[in-house]
This record gives sequence, structure tokens and C-alpha cells, in this order.
Amino acid sequence: MTATTRPGFKARSDAALANSTLKTAIDRTAERKRAAALARFAEYEAARSRGSAIKDHVIANLDHYLEMFERNATASGAKVHWAATEAEACDIVIRLCREAGAKRVTRSKSMLGEEIGLPDALGSAGIERVETDLAEHIIQLAGEHPSHIIWPAMHRTREQVAELFNADHKPPPADDEAASMVQSARHVLREKFLSAGVGISGANFLIADTGATCTVTNEGNAELTTTPPRLHIVTAGIEKLVPSTSHAMALLRLLVRAATGSELTQYTTFHCGPKRPGDADGPQEMHIVLVDNGRSEMIANEFRDMLRCIRCGACMNHCVVYRQIGGHAYGGTYPGPMGAVLTPVFDGLAPSRDLPFACTMNGRCAEVCPVEIPLPMLLRSWRGRSWRAGLESEPMRTGLVAWAGLARRPSLYRMASGIGVRALRLLGRSGWIGSLPFAAGWTRHRDLPSPTGGTFMERYKAERGKRPEDRR
Amino acid sequence: MRTRDSILSAIRAGLGGSRNDPAAIAAEAAELLAAPETIRPPLVAATRVDAFCEKVEALGVTLDRIGSIGEVPASVRRYLEDQRLSAEIAVESAALFRDLDWGEIRPRLAVAPDALAAVGLARHGIAESGSLVIHSCKETRILLALLPLHHIVVLRAANIVSHLEDYAALLVGHETSPRNAVLITGPSGTTDIEGSYVRGAHGPGFVHVILVVDA
Repeated sequence: MTATTRPGFKARSDAALANSTLKTAIDRTAERKRAAALARFAEYEAARSRGSAIKDHVIANLDHYLEMFERNATASGAKVHWAATEAEACDIVIRLCREAGAKRVTRSKSMLGEEIGLPDALGSAGIERVETDLAEHIIQLAGEHPSHIIWPAMHRTREQVAELFNADHKPPPADDEAASMVQSARHVLREKFLSAGVGISGANFLIADTGATCTVTNEGNAELTTTPPRLHIVTAGIEKLVPSTSHAMALLRLLVRAATGSELTQYTTFHCGPKRPGDADGPQEMHIVLVDNGRSEMIANEFRDMLRCIRCGACMNHCVVYRQIGGHAYGGTYPGPMGAVLTPVFDGLAPSRDLPFACTMNGRCAEVCPVEIPLPMLLRSWRGRSWRAGLESEPMRTGLVAWAGLARRPSLYRMASGIGVRALRLLGRSGWIGSLPFAAGWTRHRDLPSPTGGTFMERYKAERGKRPEDRR
Repeated sequence: MRTRDSILSAIRAGLGGSRNDPAAIAAEAAELLAAPETIRPPLVAATRVDAFCEKVEALGVTLDRIGSIGEVPASVRRYLEDQRLSAEIAVESAALFRDLDWGEIRPRLAVAPDALAAVGLARHGIAESGSLVIHSCKETRILLALLPLHHIVVLRAANIVSHLEDYAALLVGHETSPRNAVLITGPSGTTDIEGSYVRGAHGPGFVHVILVVDA
């Protein structure tokens, strides 16, 4: 999905920083809830290593597990399709919808669906698409893309949601309290669930030994999307495989705590084939579209670790950059640190090279990742590739070459940094620096703290030899 | 077929060849499930039933313990009266319910799209998480668990398993898997509007468990 890389990352983040409503909508609740959930889970570190090992094992044997999944899904009565690219995946889904004569499809939130551009593809094919996740319903009304992979509408305030619902819902919500608006969406979407010809979902896991796909939601929209229509179509990335339901359970414990701070989502559902003879309800047909879209290439390079990602969103919840600019500024399907690693895979590095640079390398994302993905290392890999491809601007290249020259001459470097620190202190006599030559991009939106001591080396020399308790 | 094969060969090329040793892969996968107690939280109470009840109530689910299946209609009636709900409600067509004396409750099969309450049957409970497990089959509809505002669920205490893996062990191979296995863990909810928690987003806003503790 490349549609949103238009005005350039810098312009988008400038606009985001100037938008005060956005800052109200993004809060730190998710971070607090996750911390509380992990405090109650003493086995977390062991569970996390095991979870990473499960994903590594699957990727190392991905061909084996894909074939096993295909075999079992087919035996359960589902039809498995393969798509190498996003266009192929969309074509398969559209063809299935047309063959079913479906005029209306319901969709349960899936980031892979966003990645392959399915919402737009359905629109172009003239098929009515009904997003059923509450947040996706909000952004569909607003004509937007998700700004977060767990809370797609987190950039929208309650008042903005009320405006959208008042214009669309008949009858409109009773008032603009969250409870009334949820009630209104429940009412409006109910009839659509029951009248759709096709229900489309993603999958959080593909279970190799049963052929089932697993969805997790808190609202119950996945079950309402996939049960009444004649067809259930699943679109899923090939990295979603796990050997068995038990392995999925081990990962679910990590996924849900990292994503929302709950121990388990309200609805965790394993979908195994179409309606069985005698079943009281369920779809007549189930189709599973396995999507590669660049994943098989990642196996061969340094981005293989990224295939462990279970899409929990913890990295963005803890990212200082994401918190300032929100999800839309990233311009890709996936925002935040994981998005900055993935977007260049999908869109190419040239149009997205700013993303791996929009990172302070503070390491928080890797610390909170439930499957131990070394996100800063991967971002640094992209920076290296960008340098080697000559994508940096001329002033940046000159600056870096100058810095590298200085860094190789320690005495010169110490002298230069000594001058720098004193100059900064002079500029920031009040303790804060309000504007700085060549750094307007930083100081336009915030002040820089004035340096409090000398250079690192001065401090190192002064402290060396002191006992720890005497150090400042 | 061509796409399938080209994806699989790209994967094999990336991996530097296929291992082609299913037994070794299966052994490794089994090893990854070893010592489950080291990667999961212990139960919050000494017995499965007590732990399940504690978890369920922490999730905002209400609970009535009864001594036998025969007491289900009376328990349902108590809930309907407490909640001031009509006695005309949808009841699952399960054999277990058919022979019960429903008294003034008028059970119906159909679940209206805006049904207020319905009585369903859970196949299992999971003590670790307070989950109710619904299997699609002849006797249980998935929609009955999703459409009503109040979902009243009958569960036999003997069907409560300890941890998520203990339930997962029952689903090995597609032959033992129902079309749909839904783990319901608390009422439907959302935090999509400014993070405020609201119940009853699409599924039931209220879940009430009737736990049958018979011998």
C-alpha cells in the first residue's frame, strides 16, 4: 500500500506536531495497562523467550508448515489460495466475491487487508464494504487509513466521532458520550452483518496441524462477520503459522498482554473449514488466501527477525517519536518502529528512507517487544542500506563525512566537542535552548535542554577512579 | 499452482534448502511446549473451579452456582427477574435443555437480531483465563452467543480445564476441531473511542454463567 507516501515524511510530521487535537487523542493508557499485566505475570521473561523460539522455529521450517497447513485446511473443507503480491491477493478476493454474487461484504479488522490495499480494491470493484470493528467503522466514515494497528482511530477525539456518527447513523446517537455512540454503531451494523454475502477476516495465527485460522477481537465482530454470510474469506501473511493450537496459546498470552494489558481478548476464535453437515450455523464456503508480499525475501536477509512480529503494537505505544507524530505521519500501512522496518520492504527504500531515521535509538521498542525483535538494529540496517544506495541529501552526506573524519582523530574530536558544549551552554543560559542554527526542525516544536556538565570525556576523566557512591 | 510453487521455492532458497525431516521438526515443536508451568501463570486458586469463578467474576461476568441441571430453569428465572427481562427468550436446542421443566419461561429457538437474552451451553471452561468455550455443532449456534445483549451460559463444573494448553490439547487435527471454537473471556467491549471502556460493542454486554456443580 503506497498511496500515502505523498507529501513526504517531514511535511506530514510537521503537520502532526502542529496538531494539538492529535496530542489529546494519543495517551499513555496502553503503556500503563501493559506494565500492570506483566507485573502479574512472573513467568513473562521465560514465556517471551519461548514465544520468540516458537516463531523462529516456524520461520526456519516455513515451507514444511505451509504445506502442512494447506493439507489440513483442505481436508477441513476450506480452499487455500496463494498470492505472491498484494495485487494478486486482491484479485483473488474480488474474484471470489464476484463469483458469489456478493454486493455487500463485511470485514473484520485485518492489518494484512490494509497492507494489500483490500479496502480500495473492493471499492474500485463496486462492492460495498462494511468495516465492522468500531474503530475501522469510524475511519471508514472519515475516509482515512488506520493510525495504529490496535486502535486504528486513536487520532480521533470523541467529539470528532460524534460528528461522523451524527452525519451517517440513522437514527443518530442519543448524545456524544462513548456509550451512546457504541450503542448506535451496534444498532447500525447489526443489520449489515446479517445481510452480507461475504465476510472477510484476517488471521492472528494459522494453525498447521488443524488447518484452522485464529482471530482475536474484543468486540465480537469477527464472529458476526464470518458466521452469517455464505462465504468466509481469510487473508493472512505466510508468517502467521504456528505448529499447533498449543503453540498459539503460548503466543496469545504474550500478544494480548503486550497489546492491551488484558490476559486474553474477549473473543478468541479458531475457524476450521466451512459449516459441517448438521451444524446449526456457519458459512457454506471458506477460502484462505496466503499472502507472501515480500515475506519470502525477508527470510534470506537481515530482516528475517521481523517475521516474528505478532502485530501487538507495543513498540509504537512506547515510541517517543510515534507519540509525538501519531501513525498517519509514517505514511505506510504499519506505523511506529515495526512500520519503519516494514514499510521499506513493501514500498521500497527510496520513497520511505526517512522512516528508519525517525528514531532516537532509545531501544524502548526492543525492550517491550514480546518476541524480542531487535527493532533498532533493523532500523540501523536500513540506514546503512540507505547510505550505500546514496539516498542521503548532499548536506547530510557532507556532514557525516566531516563527522567521521573528526571521530577518527580523538584529540581534534575532544576539542570540537568541548567548543560545542560551551557554545550550547552560552545559547541556553536559561537552562533551555529555544532556537539553534541548523536545528530549526528540532527547536520549532520543543526546546532543547542546555548541557549541564562538560563533554563526555571530561566527565569520564573526573569520575574515573572514584568509588560508585562518590560519583555525581 | 505456479504461484504456490514459486513462493515455496523462494522460501526454500531463503532458508538455504528444505530440511525435509518431518520427525525432527515435530520433535523440535514438541520441545517448545515442554515445562508449560514455566511459561504460564499459575491458577489464582487451589482448585480449577474456584480459580475459574474468581477469574470470571474479575472479568465482570456474573455467576450462579447450582447443584444440578434440573435447577437451570429456576436459575435463569432469577437472572431474568433481577435484570427485569422478559420470560420469552431464546434457548439453545441442546438435548440437555429439552427435558427440563421451564415453567413460566417460554423458550424459543430463534434468536432475533436484537434479542435481549438467550440461554446457551458452553463445552468447556478454562480456569487460567475465566474463558467459556463454545463449539459450533448441531446443538450450538455461534450466533446465539453473539447476538443477544445478555448471554446466559450453562457450564458443567466437570468440564472446566486448568490452562489454555489443556483445552488446546483437545484440538489436534481437523477431525477433532469443530468448525468454530470460540473462547469467550468476559463481555464484549471496546476502548476505541478515546480509550473509554464500553460494554456490548457488538457481542453481549452481559455474560451470566450458570455453573452446574454436580457429582
